[in-house]
Amino acid sequence: MSSEDTSTRSFGRVPGAAIEGTMISRDSERGVEDHTETIDYKMVTFSLGGKDYGIDIMNVKEIAKFHTFTYVPNAPPFVRGVYNLRGDIISIIDLRLMFNLPAEQKDDNQPEDGLIIRMENHMLGVIVDNVARVVGISRRAIQPPHPIFADINLKYISGVVEHESRLYIILDVERIFHRDGGVSERSDPGRTEPDTRPMGQFGGEFPAHATEPQPVTHSRASGDERQVDFEFVRETLATFAGFHASEVNRQWLRRRFEDWRRERESVNKDVQLASTEDAEMFLEPFYSPSTNAFWSEQYVRRFASILPAAEHPSAFTAWNIGCGKGFETYSLALTLRDALPESRLKIWANDNDLLGVSTAPNLVFSAGVVPELFRRYVVAGRNGYSFSHEIRDLIVFEYHDVTNPSAVPEMDLIVVRDVLSFMPVDDQQAVIERIGEKAKPGAIAVLGENERMPVPEIWEPIEQAPSGVYRKVE
Amino acid sequence: MKAKQDFPAINEREQIGLKAPGEPYRVLIVDDSMFVTKQISQILSSEGFEVVGTAADGGEGVEKYKELFPNVDLVTMDITMPTMDGVTALEKIIEFDKNACVVMISALGKQDLVKKSLIMGAKNYIVKPLDRKKVLERIVMSLSA
Amino acid sequence: MRVEYINPFVESAYSVIQEVLNVEVKRGELYLKSSSIPVLGVAAIVGLAGDVEGRVLFDMTRESALKVANDMLKSMDMDQIDSLNDMGRATITELANMITGQAVTKLHNLGFKFDLTPPAIFTGDNMEVSDPGVEALIVPMEIPQGKIEINVAIRERT
Repeated sequence: MSSEDTSTRSFGRVPGAAIEGTMISRDSERGVEDHTETIDYKMVTFSLGGKDYGIDIMNVKEIAKFHTFTYVPNAPPFVRGVYNLRGDIISIIDLRLMFNLPAEQKDDNQPEDGLIIRMENHMLGVIVDNVARVVGISRRAIQPPHPIFADINLKYISGVVEHESRLYIILDVERIFHRDGGVSERSDPGRTEPDTRPMGQFGGEFPAHATEPQPVTHSRASGDERQVDFEFVRETLATFAGFHASEVNRQWLRRRFEDWRRERESVNKDVQLASTEDAEMFLEPFYSPSTNAFWSEQYVRRFASILPAAEHPSAFTAWNIGCGKGFETYSLALTLRDALPESRLKIWANDNDLLGVSTAPNLVFSAGVVPELFRRYVVAGRNGYSFSHEIRDLIVFEYHDVTNPSAVPEMDLIVVRDVLSFMPVDDQQAVIERIGEKAKPGAIAVLGENERMPVPEIWEPIEQAPSGVYRKVE
Repeated sequence: MKAKQDFPAINEREQIGLKAPGEPYRVLIVDDSMFVTKQISQILSSEGFEVVGTAADGGEGVEKYKELFPNVDLVTMDITMPTMDGVTALEKIIEFDKNACVVMISALGKQDLVKKSLIMGAKNYIVKPLDRKKVLERIVMSLSA
Repeated sequence: MRVEYINPFVESAYSVIQEVLNVEVKRGELYLKSSSIPVLGVAAIVGLAGDVEGRVLFDMTRESALKVANDMLKSMDMDQIDSLNDMGRATITELANMITGQAVTKLHNLGFKFDLTPPAIFTGDNMEVSDPGVEALIVPMEIPQGKIEINVAIRERT
């Protein structure tokens, strides 16, 4: 497993916890292998308006000097013309004009510095101030974009990186020249729309003169624009909060994005998430009830209603993935103890946050945080209150990363609330598969209230249960 | 013991490994670890004991004991060894010679096996890591028991 | 790996190495690893049985192993060695045994029953240990003689 995988994964379920988890694993990596940072990212660097920028070398076909290019009438000012690149006609975009940065005017016969950018479907040329050189860095050194670099809209920046005491802003060309932002379409003679249309996605970001005659407000409201915003929020959630959009949470994310957009627009704030705080605010409604606390009596009752209480199984096994400090696990143990008094219970609980899970076996809390319902299992100790051995002995707490093989037996119940969404998508899939393997036929899986089980062939929602609760098809 | 106290201190160190002047205690060391074998033999030799044999597992230990008998006074027996463990070897040695003086060498965490060995007739035990003082003290105790 | 097992191993490794070699031990952050693990050159392995099944692997480079062995021999007034011969390997194995033994004793006191199986040692270049289906806890330690990585994989018998 690459170090990157581990550093982005986290099972934290509270705002902040996710970030904390990330830090821990990063540190641990560092402590282990002497980190001679590996160079796994190369970028072509250049300057624009006096600042240093970079573009992923994978997107750069070549470094070029543009001598003569053909002016195209009715194009926005940042489209300097078209250029014949060994037989291919490509558009030439002046990045300085595009981002409304100062550009020194050169004589017509003086060549311009530039790059040939290669994207999935097409190529184009960009003019910059000075192409410097290729710089190799470690991907891990790339920091998320910060509003301080707001010369260029954050959404076109994939990150910033410091290298030899210079700060480089890494541009995301795929996003800037988004899909059918196809400059190639510009030359489509059948097109009657004003010449800014093909680049409408970024209309709102441009100075008015660049988008004339199309009024700025129109493109702001376009579906494309909204999609770009959504995609950007999606990505920043991963960066700032370790939240990874997938089938597991897509429904919620769509809904939340619309609410968020309205909320933010009503207070005249940017829809984009510019910081960890923004991301936390965005995710606030995501978390399931009683997160990082003992379950409320109300939640305990709701939870108990999904258990096969009538059947009184002789043995009952439960798996609590992403147990954190153990509040959820103890709540689960207490709920099961009361709901299934006759059953032999065993609960496996694990987390890959060592600090959190280390304290779980001997969790100490203050009186009053445990619902009345469970007070009889609480014993007073020297440092505070804890649970009696009757309850503690039901649980095995493990320092374990569920993306690694798990040695747990087959389970009757799997509680994995708000955990999958905080793993990279590949890991989510692997863990969902593992949950499927470890679940007995008819077993119950409890995801977060805003999460969905993406494999309907194996899992069916339980009627009348809170959302996120599934039964394995027998 | 009284007589020993009357000897000048300078000679005392050389006395530990000798049952009578010029007559050393003869020791068989049974241990799968070359390190431990070397360590014990070095400690004992320096005190005048004579290491008359070494064995790397229980089975070999029992055979060596029978070969050497009656010219052997003491066995140090590791508990954890491949093929035949030390407790089984102890049992076989005691079967052969109920007066055998066997000192068990145990890793940490083997209390149950140590107890079992003492009940079966081991004279004493030493828990690793070994050091000079501990080894000599326990061995002298078992020889004088 | 069960949370209660972690500290006994970490503390034993720390205290035994510090005591036997009389050096300062720097601890690295613990982490989890599955899949194959490259071996630095010398790997001593101690098996665990009882309530659990598993193994503890002590990994270091040949150079570090030789230095560690000599320092350990010296501390016990024993003869020095000039290559990682049988005696050297036995010495490293003994260190592994001492650490694991102390950990198992601590675990005993906490009510967990573990048994040690006789240790084995492997040396060679470009070795890899792979136990498919096993997640291991890595305890990295840095001493003046070099790096010692302790790799603990234990699972409950279910």
